[in-house]
Amino acid sequence: MAKIIVVTSGKGGVGKTTSAAAIATGLAQRGKKTIVIDFDVGLRNLDLIMGCERRVVYDLINVIQGEAGLNQAMIRDKRIDNLYVLPASQTRDKDALTLEGVERVLDTLKESFDFIICDSPAGIERGAQLAMYFADEAVVVTNPEVSSVRDSDRILGLLSSKTRRAEQGGEPLKEHLLITRYSPNRVTSGDMLNLEDIREILSIPLLGLIPESEAVLRASNQGVPVTHDHDSDAGQAYGDTVDRLLGEDRALRFHEEQKRGFLSRMFGGGRR
Amino acid sequence: MSQELNAESAAFTFKGGMLPMTVLELASNDVDLIEQQLSGKISQAPAFFQQTPVVLGLDKWEEGTLELERLCAMLRSHKLLPVAVRGGSDTIKQSAWALGMGWFPPNEARTPAHAAPVEQVVRGANREEQDDAVNHYGARVFRGTVRSGQQLSAPRGDLIVVGAVNAGAEILAAGSIHVYGALRGRALAGIHGDLDAAVFCQELRAELIAIAGNYKRLEDIDPEMLGKSVQAHMVEDQLDISAFEL
Repeated sequence: MAKIIVVTSGKGGVGKTTSAAAIATGLAQRGKKTIVIDFDVGLRNLDLIMGCERRVVYDLINVIQGEAGLNQAMIRDKRIDNLYVLPASQTRDKDALTLEGVERVLDTLKESFDFIICDSPAGIERGAQLAMYFADEAVVVTNPEVSSVRDSDRILGLLSSKTRRAEQGGEPLKEHLLITRYSPNRVTSGDMLNLEDIREILSIPLLGLIPESEAVLRASNQGVPVTHDHDSDAGQAYGDTVDRLLGEDRALRFHEEQKRGFLSRMFGGGRR
Repeated sequence: MSQELNAESAAFTFKGGMLPMTVLELASNDVDLIEQQLSGKISQAPAFFQQTPVVLGLDKWEEGTLELERLCAMLRSHKLLPVAVRGGSDTIKQSAWALGMGWFPPNEARTPAHAAPVEQVVRGANREEQDDAVNHYGARVFRGTVRSGQQLSAPRGDLIVVGAVNAGAEILAAGSIHVYGALRGRALAGIHGDLDAAVFCQELRAELIAIAGNYKRLEDIDPEMLGKSVQAHMVEDQLDISAFEL
């Protein structure tokens, strides 16, 4: 049975889609059969980040409304065999998503996948609530800034009340904190909230910390999830994140200011 | 084991024991009146009066006299065995010892200070609506983080949060509010107008604190107080926020 993980944040532009794509790719690289679903109906982006936008025929809404089969809508990743993408519709609106429809799709996918990653839209409306409703675990993506932390706090409140696990009782949904766009230099200068402040306010376990990196921007524009970029700091940080998601111990990296020495300046200049 | 013990082994041991004991609480010192009413009881429950040991309860008798010897003789004639006296004046204590009876200090549990909680429990239990998280005193205990957008209230009593109250969250109570963590959201105590209600928190960062409608916004709060353990309460019609001197 697959584990359903929602990637959510409340606030827009913090890196939900980038993180959903990177985590799904990382899981597939580690041999897990994974599908990543775009719930952002009307503002789809996941296909671009995953680099499959030219191969979209049918989408999630078509499947929910019975206009296409799941196998027709699922797009197989070109780079990794056991990775699939289920895109959102760009022309429909969010009301086309129904709770029963989403449940039916997820129930079918659960039988053949190890992981189902739900890429949530921003906000706390219907789309976001449907993306999180059936989740077993949640990755809450937060930037080191006050507004993002407050929105994540709001989302954590919804996760603990507006999900199937919360409504039916039993084992609660597992919450993970993923901090993205973290810049140690700007934290030191006081422009950004520091790691400890964020952890204290949200008080959920830290899954990963992704440094602010040009590699992410490059990856998005090329349509290659940053996890493929093993040389980049962000690629390695997402790799650590996926390992932790699978229960492995990884020491935290990239959270302290880099003291760049002479040799690193000479030979490591191109790393970022 | 044999019952025969040698000279070195113990012939007895002292042990504490709690034995059920009937207390005869006396509201009058009129022995004749007591006997008259006692005769009525005997006819109702003759089996009770079979050399039953009793303690004479004189807890309410700080002063006053009692014909203790005559009372004891009367009780014995009705097959009650007075063994000790509880409470009463010094004189009564002396006469009890003279009569070979024990003496116990007055029972503390009968004082009003201890009687009060019992009454509260009964009142609480009779209440019609019972929230699981609300105990018999109307207080509500919440463990965990109260998050942005969430509202938590104790409409009948105190609210105790073991954890933080984050910005954008709101907590309300008819009584006082206690936060064992950072208070970053809004806290409204005394929502039904109780001016004696107060707000206590371990780390003050509150957006707003109100007691019975008197409020202070974060902007109105002395910056010196931020981050400290404080109490907020009404002092002469003013909402006062002061740090704990710990």
